[in-house]
Amino acid sequence: MTKTLLELTVNGEDRSLAIEPYRSLLDVLREEAGLTGTKKGCDVGDCGACTVIVDGQPVNACLMLAVEAQGASVQTVEGLQPGPDELHPLQDAFMEHGASQCGFCTPGILIMAKHLLDQNPLPTDEEIRFGLSGNICRCTGYTKIFDAIRTAGRRMAAAKSQSVEA
Amino acid sequence: MTKQDFRIVGKSVKRQDVIEKVTGEGRYTGDYHLPGLLHGKIKRAEIAHARIKHIDVSKALAYPGVKAVLTHHDVPKVLHYGSPHPRSASCTKDQYILEDKVRFWGEGVAAVAAVSEEIADEALDLIEVEYEPLPAVLDIDAAQQPGAPLIHDVGPGGNLVIPPVHIERGDVEAGFAEADLILEGVFEGGRPVPTYMEPNVCVADWDGSGKLTFWTSTQTSFMVRGALAEVLDLPQNKVRVLVDHMGGGFGAKQDLFQHEFLCALLARQCRRPVKMEFTRKETFIAGRSRHPFRMWLKQGFRKDGTLTARDMKIVYESGAYGSHSPGVTNVGTASATSLYRCPNVRLDGRAVYTNTPIAGAYRGYGVVQTYFAIDIQIDEAAERLGIDPAQMRLLNAVREGDIAPSGHPIVGRGLEACISRGIEAFDWPGKRAAGRGDPANPAIRKGWGIGCEMHGSSAYPGIREQGNATVKMNEDGSVTLLTGAAGLGTGAHTALAQIVAEELGVTFESVSVVHGDTDVVPWDIGAFASHTTYLVGSAAKMAAADLRQRVLARAAERLQESPEHLAMVDGVITVQGKPGQTLTVAEAMGPSRGIPAEHLIANGTYMPTKSYSFAAHFVEVAVDTETGIIECRKVVPVHDVGRVIHPIAAQGQIEGGIQQGIGHTLTEDYIIDRSTGRSLNAGLVDYKMPLSMDMPDIDTIILEAAPDPGGPWGAKGVGEDPIIAIGPAIANAVHDAIGVRFHHYPITPEDVLNGLRQKQENA
Amino acid sequence: MRRFEYHEPATLEEASRLMGTLGQGAFLLAGGTDLFVEIRERLRSVAHLVNIKRVPGLDRVEWSDRDGLRFGALVTAGQLEASADVAARYPNLHAAMRALASIQVRNRATVIGNICRASPSADSIPPLVADGASIETFRPEGGRSIPLAEFFTGPGRSVLEPGEIAVAITVPPPAPGSRRAYLKHGRRKAMELATVGVAVSLDTADGICTGARIALGAVGPVVLRAPQAEAILTGSRLDAATIEAAARQAMQECTPISNVRSSADYRREMVGVLTRRAVTQAMEQAA
Repeated sequence: MTKTLLELTVNGEDRSLAIEPYRSLLDVLREEAGLTGTKKGCDVGDCGACTVIVDGQPVNACLMLAVEAQGASVQTVEGLQPGPDELHPLQDAFMEHGASQCGFCTPGILIMAKHLLDQNPLPTDEEIRFGLSGNICRCTGYTKIFDAIRTAGRRMAAAKSQSVEA
Repeated sequence: MTKQDFRIVGKSVKRQDVIEKVTGEGRYTGDYHLPGLLHGKIKRAEIAHARIKHIDVSKALAYPGVKAVLTHHDVPKVLHYGSPHPRSASCTKDQYILEDKVRFWGEGVAAVAAVSEEIADEALDLIEVEYEPLPAVLDIDAAQQPGAPLIHDVGPGGNLVIPPVHIERGDVEAGFAEADLILEGVFEGGRPVPTYMEPNVCVADWDGSGKLTFWTSTQTSFMVRGALAEVLDLPQNKVRVLVDHMGGGFGAKQDLFQHEFLCALLARQCRRPVKMEFTRKETFIAGRSRHPFRMWLKQGFRKDGTLTARDMKIVYESGAYGSHSPGVTNVGTASATSLYRCPNVRLDGRAVYTNTPIAGAYRGYGVVQTYFAIDIQIDEAAERLGIDPAQMRLLNAVREGDIAPSGHPIVGRGLEACISRGIEAFDWPGKRAAGRGDPANPAIRKGWGIGCEMHGSSAYPGIREQGNATVKMNEDGSVTLLTGAAGLGTGAHTALAQIVAEELGVTFESVSVVHGDTDVVPWDIGAFASHTTYLVGSAAKMAAADLRQRVLARAAERLQESPEHLAMVDGVITVQGKPGQTLTVAEAMGPSRGIPAEHLIANGTYMPTKSYSFAAHFVEVAVDTETGIIECRKVVPVHDVGRVIHPIAAQGQIEGGIQQGIGHTLTEDYIIDRSTGRSLNAGLVDYKMPLSMDMPDIDTIILEAAPDPGGPWGAKGVGEDPIIAIGPAIANAVHDAIGVRFHHYPITPEDVLNGLRQKQENA
Repeated sequence: MRRFEYHEPATLEEASRLMGTLGQGAFLLAGGTDLFVEIRERLRSVAHLVNIKRVPGLDRVEWSDRDGLRFGALVTAGQLEASADVAARYPNLHAAMRALASIQVRNRATVIGNICRASPSADSIPPLVADGASIETFRPEGGRSIPLAEFFTGPGRSVLEPGEIAVAITVPPPAPGSRRAYLKHGRRKAMELATVGVAVSLDTADGICTGARIALGAVGPVVLRAPQAEAILTGSRLDAATIEAAARQAMQECTPISNVRSSADYRREMVGVLTRRAVTQAMEQAA
């Protein structure tokens, strides 16, 4: 089967990948782009472990063909860190609160939480719960995840208002 | 136990393995892509019980891209354990890698390796299997009928996995004769599955010397090594099992799975690495569930609430193979001797084969079932006798000196402490006095309930376990802990590092943990049975204490002091009475003035006794009396863990266990069609785990009420416990809300409506 | 996944032609959130996928007072969920969008894909049937507009002909005094396939119900209307007794089956509860 040249931006970096058109974005990210942080928990859109942001929208990378990301901008968990020695406030808060246990759902939940906080830095508990309703975590009972997102949101909002004042 | 100021133990330090999890850099087995990697897939039977008359793989072999196909003709014929605990004498060898027989719908009958996953998947369709159907045995009643078709020709016969477990203490008939109230009931439970987020996966790679390197998502890497070596006829030093990060296991990843053998065999035949990864559907079909069960329970009570006798018969459904049924049946049956003290007990436990998917190990191991029943019947007795349910439990709670299920005396009064604290924290009397209605919605009835549990840390004495640890002091003062315990996500490795740092007298950050390589780390039976912190933690503490002596001896030489006069705290060595004279551990270890650097190493091996952890769960439910939907709104879990090493990790275990327990009690059930053996909901939409919007508020309380002398500074396990008490607590709260008793899980909305109708008819 | 050939037509003409020439193994791809699942679970044998995402003009949501709502074949559930016009004027449709699968799925799943799959439990169908929506199609010989209530012929089946492509949904503007709601029954609060879904669309004037449409999901081979229950409501003041009578009538107008999610009896009972609650909620929303 002939391969297609896929050109896209992943975590800010331009990538050209020769891919078969029947491959999912998830498989291509993991196997062709070398980004194995995004996980395959079900491959049918039910668990959210493969959540990535495509052109500003969180999607299940398993429910999208890689060819459909032609020209798109994709963000994965590997692109969360603002700098090489710096963590995103969510990453810090997840560590602090014990929001990651086995960690398999963590990349998808971090991406979903980032999207949520980017839209709404101080979400209510209901909004956090609703925002994560497509991400399954089987280890934590979610409690620590909610705590971590609230903490990160508060810190991000505080940092933002400080930078506005400055 | 003397009071001690801890520097590291008891603090929620940053878990060492978590940085990799939040950056996406942590390597899970499925993340390994070796050069030349082939992909393996399994052809699964679509029949529950059959003999394979003929299997034709010629078309699949000829399919472009296919490199190998294996059937029962091509694999070693070695009978093996599904549950690889060969040291547990009760295990039944009843499995072959592939056989000319199918015992459940979904069992593997052939395996393919191909250059891509897609091609391997497509090739499965080209394998032609001709079956001779056999009469299928699809429930425990059919299995126990006289003359029922036999699923195995090993074992004691009659579709029993092992001979019945019988436990008798005191005089049950005399106990019932003393009773003012006798309750009798039948209890049943469905088939919850662990549903870890990482589907089972392994990668096999053989080198030129005939050595197998095997990455796999397992809780029991040494057991995998042992079973692979046995079946492949290799010495154990020719099998190296590796597991780095694991996406959960909850007990079920301690079996030897068919795909693991097949992956190794395909790789050997193709002379290329092979990866096998379950689909989500396969984790249901070919994974392991909790044992469905039916239990008859009769208990006698005096007017004051005291238990006088307990008579129980439980049947666990093992599915097509024995797997953990011996352990589950033994542990589960024995658990019914305890929780609420009872002088006269007679218990009968059995496990039977059926032509359904395999039940294995799952958090709460046989005990979820028995305590669900016992704790509901205790609640009924309290109701009938007019005693407050919490007081009823306090009255009967096991305590110091009582004989535990393991036969050991119980240490401390942990269960009473949990109940008492929960009564206060939950405002039990206030809640129970409040109205059941909800002003916001007339269809809602609220209710409050309690459930209790206890669970042993370690599988001793059922399995003669040992905990092992090796601690190395490097020449720069950094410390390496080697452990065989798997890191399935619980934070146990961090707890081990804390224990080492505390005992050794170095900073937490200076300890790193090496795990998951059977060629390197000390032998370990596996991460299960709430074993790691308790057992391996004790071994790590012993090793650290030993190493500390050696480090201080070396420092003493340097300082020209006697080692007894030295102390080491946070990696700084000081001399008693000489405040100016200090040495960092790095200075002590490094080369200096003609003394070369030296590698210090210490081993700890710990043979356990047995400890029990306790919990009482207090819950609030809201029942929609029109739809029958039960919402669990609030949980106050109170757990006695002896000594908490890492509070946040311990809370996380508890909250996650509650999530799973709520699921089992209300929404989760892996359903097998009882006419065909086919599974009806092998996916995450129809197998309904509670998600973010379904979770109640949880206010976790951890007590250090009954430290155990066997654990590090009194620490006991916490992994198994939280899934046990939540079930009966919910069922009891539902009764409190609507006056209907349920003796089974899951309690579905239809059950609620039918129960309400029944109640109305009876009234 | 299994392998397939992939096509990206630039126009509807080309897409339709491809579907005709490629034959039975060819499937149209819009969102893909159902189709990829069916391919992976081997429920559908797919030789060709014809992706219409590059066809221009199909991704818009439009509202006008005169013509009401119109959205194209590439509009996602997430897009409709975010539409202020939908939230304000079609609260039943808005609720259905919020209840459909997950946020991630809604960002890919197209509403028309959800409709064309013709599942009796599809969340998007009951509100659109209750609101009197029509589906516009493309055919080489000329498209047509089909009332959604007449579109479905059975589970997974519709009146679409080979090569015919659904391109847009139109929904009439709500009359003044219109009241709407959609309630979905599932065991969990999210990530559910409806056990039962009930949409209501009521017209009221001076406290009197002047028109009622009730659409019942997952209780028949297609989404059903409940005309006799609607008749009970119409002309009434929508008092509790009338609503209850209509809810009981709706229970008689459905034909549920038993499956792993629920028994037929329970589904029928929930039609009663949800119909009553949906009508009540619609009226409360307005007040």
